[in-house]
Amino acid sequence: MSLSSLLLDELRACAGQSGKSLFVRDGQRSVRCEAVHCERFAATVDELVLETPELAAATIAQLEAASRDLASRVNYLLEPVAPIESDAAGCTVQMRSNPPQKDDNGWRYYELVLRRGGSVALARYERQPGQPRVRVPAALTHEVIGRLVNDFELTAASV
Amino acid sequence: MLDIERDQRRFKEIVRGRIRGNLRKYITHGEMIGRKGRDIVSIPVPQLDVPRFKFGKNGSGGVGQGEGQVGDPIGKPGNDPGSGGGAGSDPGGGHFLEVEVSLDELAEMLGNELELPRIKPKGAASIEAEKTKYNSIRQTGPESLRHFRRTYLRALKRQISTGAYEIDEPRVIPVNADKLYRSWNDVPQPKVNAVVIYMMDVSGSMTDEQKEIVRTEAFWIDAWLGKQYRGIEKRYIIHDAAAKEVDEHTFYHTRESGGTRISSAYKAAAELIDQSFPVEDWNLYCFQFSDGDNWGDDNRKAFELLSEKLLPAVNLFCYGQVESPYGSGDFIDALEKQFDSHEKLVLSEIADKDAIYESIRTFLGKGK
Repeated sequence: MSLSSLLLDELRACAGQSGKSLFVRDGQRSVRCEAVHCERFAATVDELVLETPELAAATIAQLEAASRDLASRVNYLLEPVAPIESDAAGCTVQMRSNPPQKDDNGWRYYELVLRRGGSVALARYERQPGQPRVRVPAALTHEVIGRLVNDFELTAASV
Repeated sequence: MLDIERDQRRFKEIVRGRIRGNLRKYITHGEMIGRKGRDIVSIPVPQLDVPRFKFGKNGSGGVGQGEGQVGDPIGKPGNDPGSGGGAGSDPGGGHFLEVEVSLDELAEMLGNELELPRIKPKGAASIEAEKTKYNSIRQTGPESLRHFRRTYLRALKRQISTGAYEIDEPRVIPVNADKLYRSWNDVPQPKVNAVVIYMMDVSGSMTDEQKEIVRTEAFWIDAWLGKQYRGIEKRYIIHDAAAKEVDEHTFYHTRESGGTRISSAYKAAAELIDQSFPVEDWNLYCFQFSDGDNWGDDNRKAFELLSEKLLPAVNLFCYGQVESPYGSGDFIDALEKQFDSHEKLVLSEIADKDAIYESIRTFLGKGK
C-alpha cells in the first residue's frame, strides 16, 4: 500500500475524533499528520510532514528545482504556492501562497518548507490586522491530503 | 517694503500653513519623494484659493455710479436681501498648485509637527573644515582675478599725487604697480560629521509595498538628520542571506529570493564603520528595516554583532519591523527580550503606511 493510502485509512479510522497525531511509514519514507479534528471526508490539519532520507544530500539548487516542480504540481489548494525564500546556509527552501488570501479577517496562507535531511512540510498561517501571525489548522479533504502526500513523494524522488 | 513683497510673503505663509496642515498625509504617502531635487522638494498643494478680481456687468452700478451723494456710506455686504454672497457650491476641479519647499524647511515642519528634540552631537566630534572665501586684496595674482575698480582708483591716486592727472583731459592709465587682485583666505568652519547607515532586508518575503514604506521613512529621516548635520553621509546595505553595500537606487529597487540572515547586514555595517568611519570622529546612525523573519539560529549571531560591534559605536540604532502580507517575524520580540530597553536601541513596528508617522517620532524622538 502507498503512503497516501495508509494515511487515509488512519484518517478514516479516526473520524469524529479530535487531536490525533498520525504516523505512517512505507520503507524509508514516513508521513506525520497532526490532525486537529477528523471527519468522514475531511480533516483539519495542523501540520503534514513527509520525512525521507532521499533529501539527505540535496544541494540548495536541487531543492530550489524541486520546489518549483512542487509549486507546479500543487495547484489544487486554496491559493497557488510559489518558492519565496531559499537559505543556502541552512539548505532550506520556503514556499508560500503567492499571493496570500486576503479578506476582512486578515491574511491566510500555506507555507511549505523543503529541508535537506530531509523533509517536506505543509502548514497554514493566519494574520489578523494588528496581530502577530499564528499557525491555524488547514481544512483539507481526504482526497487533497492523499494528493499532497503523493506530490511530496514525487518531489522527494525528483531530487 | 513694497506691497508686492508683503503679498508674496503672505502667500508663502498661506502655502506653508497648508503644507503644515497636510504634513501627516505627505509623511504617510510619500508623494513628494519622486519630486525631490538636490535641496528642494516640489509639493502638490490642492485647492489653494488665489484671490482675483471679478468684473461686473457694464452699467450695472459700481463705484462712482448710481444714486447717492458724496459722503454717503457704502452698504455692507449681505445688507441687501437680494445680494448673493457666501461660499460657492461647486467643489472645483481639484487643481493642484506645485509649491517648492526647501528640504531644510520641510525638516523644520517635521520637527515641529512631531515635536522632535534637536540632536546633540556626540562629545567633541566636531571637525573643522576649511572653506575658501574671496575676502582680501593682493598686489599679485592672475589677471582673471584683477579688481578693476580698485586698480583704477589706485592709478588715479598715483596720477593725482604725481601731478600726472589732467582735469581737462581726464584719463586714468594703470601701470603694473597699480594693479590689485582679489585674493582668498581659508576660513575654518565648524562641521559635525554624521553618517547614516541604512540596512534593508530584500529577501523574497519583502514586497514592493514594504520597500515603499522603507523609502518613505528613510526620506524623512534623511531630511531631519540632514538639517541637524551639515554634509551628512549616507550608506546603504541590502541583505538576504548575504549582505552587500549598494547605491541608493539599488537599495530601494532590489529584490532577492534568498533567505533572511540579519547578522550578514550587521557584519557588513560593522566592517564599514571599522574601515571608513572612526567612532571618535563620526556620529553614527543605523536604521535597519526587515519583516523580522530571520532564519534558523541567526538571531544569536546577530545579537552578538549588535552588542559587541554596533551598539558601542553608534549614537542610535533603530530597527523598524515592516509587516508583510505574510505577517511579521519574531525578530523584534527577540531584540526586545535580549536588549531590554537599551538606551541606544529604538524599536518600531510598522504595520502599514499609516504607521510611518509614529515610527519616525519613535526613531527620532530621543534627540541623539
